[in-house]
Amino acid sequence: MKNISLYIDQGSWLNKMHPYTKLLYILTAIMIPLTGGKLWLFPVMIVSSLLLLASGKILKRALPLVAFSFTLIVVIFLIQGLFNHNNETVLFSVGIITFYKEGTLFATRIGCNILNMLLSFGIFVLTTSPQEFVDELEKSGFSPKFGYVINSVFQILPQMMATKDTITDAQRSRGMETEGNLLVRTKAFLPLISPVVMSSLINTRERAIALDVRGFGRKQKKTWLYDRPKYKWDPVIRVILVVLMIITIVWRVL
Amino acid sequence: MGKIFKTKLTTATIVLIPACIGINYLGKLFASLLKLPLWLDCIGTCIGACLGGPVIGAICGAANNLIYGLTTGDNITLIYALTSLGIGLVVGILARMGFMKTFPKSFVCALGGGLAAVCISTPLNILFWGGTTGNVWGDAVFAATQASGMAVGIGSFLDEIVVDVPDKILTLIIVYLILKGLPKKLTALYDVNAEIERLD
Amino acid sequence: MAIITMENLKYKYPGADHLALNGITLSIEKGEFIGIVGQNGAGKSTLCQAMIGLVPQFYHGAYGGSVKIKERLAEKVPVQELCEDVGLIFQNPFNQLSGARDTVYGEVAYGLQNLGIRREEMKARIEKVLKQLNIWQYRDRNPFDLSGGQMQRVAIASILVMQPEVIILDEPTSQLDPEGTEEVFRVVDQLSRTGKTIIMVEQKLEKMAKYCDRLILMQDGKVVDFDTPEKIFARDDLNEMGIQPPAFVRISKQMGLVNADGTYPVTLESTVALFEQQSCDTDRIRGVRPEGKRTARTQRSEALFQMEDVSFSYQKHVPVLEHLHLSLDQRTTAIIGQNGAGKTTLVRLLKGLLKPVSGTVYFGQEDISKKTVAMLAGKVGYVFQNPDDQIFKYNVLDEVMFGPLNIGMNQEEAKEKALKALEMMGLSGKEKENPYDLEMYERKMVAIASVVAMNTDVVILDEPTIAQDYPGKKRIGEMIERLSGAGKLVVAILHDMDFVAENFERVIVMAHGTILADGTAEEVFAGDAVLKEARLQKPYMTQLIERFAGR
Repeated sequence: MKNISLYIDQGSWLNKMHPYTKLLYILTAIMIPLTGGKLWLFPVMIVSSLLLLASGKILKRALPLVAFSFTLIVVIFLIQGLFNHNNETVLFSVGIITFYKEGTLFATRIGCNILNMLLSFGIFVLTTSPQEFVDELEKSGFSPKFGYVINSVFQILPQMMATKDTITDAQRSRGMETEGNLLVRTKAFLPLISPVVMSSLINTRERAIALDVRGFGRKQKKTWLYDRPKYKWDPVIRVILVVLMIITIVWRVL
Repeated sequence: MGKIFKTKLTTATIVLIPACIGINYLGKLFASLLKLPLWLDCIGTCIGACLGGPVIGAICGAANNLIYGLTTGDNITLIYALTSLGIGLVVGILARMGFMKTFPKSFVCALGGGLAAVCISTPLNILFWGGTTGNVWGDAVFAATQASGMAVGIGSFLDEIVVDVPDKILTLIIVYLILKGLPKKLTALYDVNAEIERLD
Repeated sequence: MAIITMENLKYKYPGADHLALNGITLSIEKGEFIGIVGQNGAGKSTLCQAMIGLVPQFYHGAYGGSVKIKERLAEKVPVQELCEDVGLIFQNPFNQLSGARDTVYGEVAYGLQNLGIRREEMKARIEKVLKQLNIWQYRDRNPFDLSGGQMQRVAIASILVMQPEVIILDEPTSQLDPEGTEEVFRVVDQLSRTGKTIIMVEQKLEKMAKYCDRLILMQDGKVVDFDTPEKIFARDDLNEMGIQPPAFVRISKQMGLVNADGTYPVTLESTVALFEQQSCDTDRIRGVRPEGKRTARTQRSEALFQMEDVSFSYQKHVPVLEHLHLSLDQRTTAIIGQNGAGKTTLVRLLKGLLKPVSGTVYFGQEDISKKTVAMLAGKVGYVFQNPDDQIFKYNVLDEVMFGPLNIGMNQEEAKEKALKALEMMGLSGKEKENPYDLEMYERKMVAIASVVAMNTDVVILDEPTIAQDYPGKKRIGEMIERLSGAGKLVVAILHDMDFVAENFERVIVMAHGTILADGTAEEVFAGDAVLKEARLQKPYMTQLIERFAGR
């Protein structure tokens, strides 16, 4: 079955690390350059995230995430470099198109910020099993009802996606066109989406029953099959991250 | 007002949320498959809002972006969790006020949802990427406004309107058509005022 | 000691205009194996759901009378609490998985976690149940990747592990292939000997007769009778209630094999035993024939489809069909085999939904791969297995007219064809209803009608009899005959061997991507080796006749 989660178990130290520690890292990575205010802090955090990804043997898998944001970054460079309101100093010109220093600098900042966020999130996303994350959330008091919502998306979505081709085939079998001009294609949208929506809503009724008959939503405290093996460096890393954040704030205020 | 926000967290409504999140995804998938120029990625959120009320709608919206953001690594989506939450909330409120009852009225709901999206997304766009949205048509508008020297805020606002309002109108039309076809046996599950009547 | 008692139970679904349950009073003893029989819409599932409190707690609606489970009122005690005493398993295996766990082991543990069972006990119970149901080897697999029969056993395990005293099975095999059905019945067989109270709804009455101590016969929300299978199946009014008694009862009646108390034997073994005991005249067997309605046409008409050396695979190196040669003429053709045998792939190739990796499929003189699906839509009709993959209109008539309009019929012609098709499928009077307000078995008929209305030369049906009761199957049988009589080719994938034997001129047996046998039903069902290889069972009629003759 196709899995929509990007999680991969490489047995690395990042896999062993507690999900909360990784979330704290995301916070630190995003916060330091933004509060610190210096442009050079971005590359520092980006390089640190890249090193972490490499240490977890997932650098290659992080690349598609970055590629994802590429168009957005290009658009930002174009618009800001050309049209930013503070544009004064000419950076370079190609024919009639002139890039300005101020806008480009602004775009660099935004671009770095996007990259920084993507990479730090990448560490979490690629090394944390969603189910384990939800289990940890529930153990620390998060409602099992919402825990269920998160878990089930991963199981149900691939099933719904699998019906996509069947529905397309079923409607084409009845002579419906899926190619042609915009009107034809727009008209095809409802016959395609309706069956999925209807059947998934109707399925929710059965699934709710299935959950109810298995004691879902009882007031009583849940029990767990496994304890998460404790990772001894978790507390140390958390302290370091918090200290780093405090230093940045203090440095900024002074 | 209390009635508008009334929510029952029964198993049926809880299970509705992941289904709606799945529907969002498939809406987007079919739209790109048919090469439609719109996103159509919040059909599920709006269905959740209309069936379960504003609270469920808001949860559907926020959970949608949080889950995709935190698992598929697309954290650009993550930032717009606020927008989705807003859409779910506003559509839910308007639906409870009766703006999904007839086809013409559903346009009010669509406009409400669209405006919610615009008002929340614009500041986010400016804050995170200096005003662009990542949609070709919208960004063309943004580029034009910036070239003509308009303020970033207004440009970005127009950028969003061009993208979000038509998208939400089509979305709510689809949602209206779908809801009209839902069987009573199903909608009864989400009726917050349902009571068990005695027959003896 | 009665474990379940009902008194004057009445129930109406919200928005419905009639009672789904109408004045039911009965009591079930601890340790009994109870079957519920009746045609679709009789209220069987509603009764099951009332026994665990889902009716009325989950559905709301109007409720009267009482249901008590071990002195607890099903109406008042939350389902989440009542599930300690009563477990429910229903049709669709896929919807019964919690959807929150990615291994079989975790899935089975899910209910125990909710009940707050201690870890050590949890592990012990899971291991015991998984081994009992023979799914221990799948414990680390994703439950969604299993076959239907395996998934259904996981669902049963998930309930069993919670150790309820009463287990309710609501048509647990209706969506499974023959092998999956057998797997589930083996489990049911085991359960029947464990001393648990079991309540089962099932259309496969031969099985019900074998396992049940007593049967509840339902019609229109009422309990008509509650007695032993022998007594129930000896009733004369079963046909009026949409029930066809088990094959053994029908043959015994025909042969005049009667028990001392005036009832008929209901299982294979008891029929054979009675036959031997009364030392019947073997001549009487000759009068009994499988209920094949017609003699197969031997003269072949011109070939409609021609498959030449066709191979197909979804992924490289994993062939689904290999070097297939097949020609289809106008004889009604059933394709049988287990899931994964390549049946659906074969018919999708005929429909042009898939293109062969090598080889050619000809429709008439033309190579199908040169045509688009839309071009073939007017010629070849295909009814998908799940009607919910296609239904999107607000009323039945519009849904059925969608196809005809797409292939270029005008409004009037489409309407005329649609009404005719609806009439054929027994849906007259339901034209204006919302398809999703109908039950699954009716939606299936809508889907069939929506393809029949397109008036194509070929009609392909993928498991049309799923979820149908006896009247529904009879109607589909008549539809096949009418279409065939009108010169159309009908090809169907089926799991119901008795239905195949009775309604089709030609039977093709498939296993692992190849055709194992091809001939009339009689020829095919006489081939023991082939059936064994395809892991298929003979129709009950054939089984019995062979037992008699082999004496």
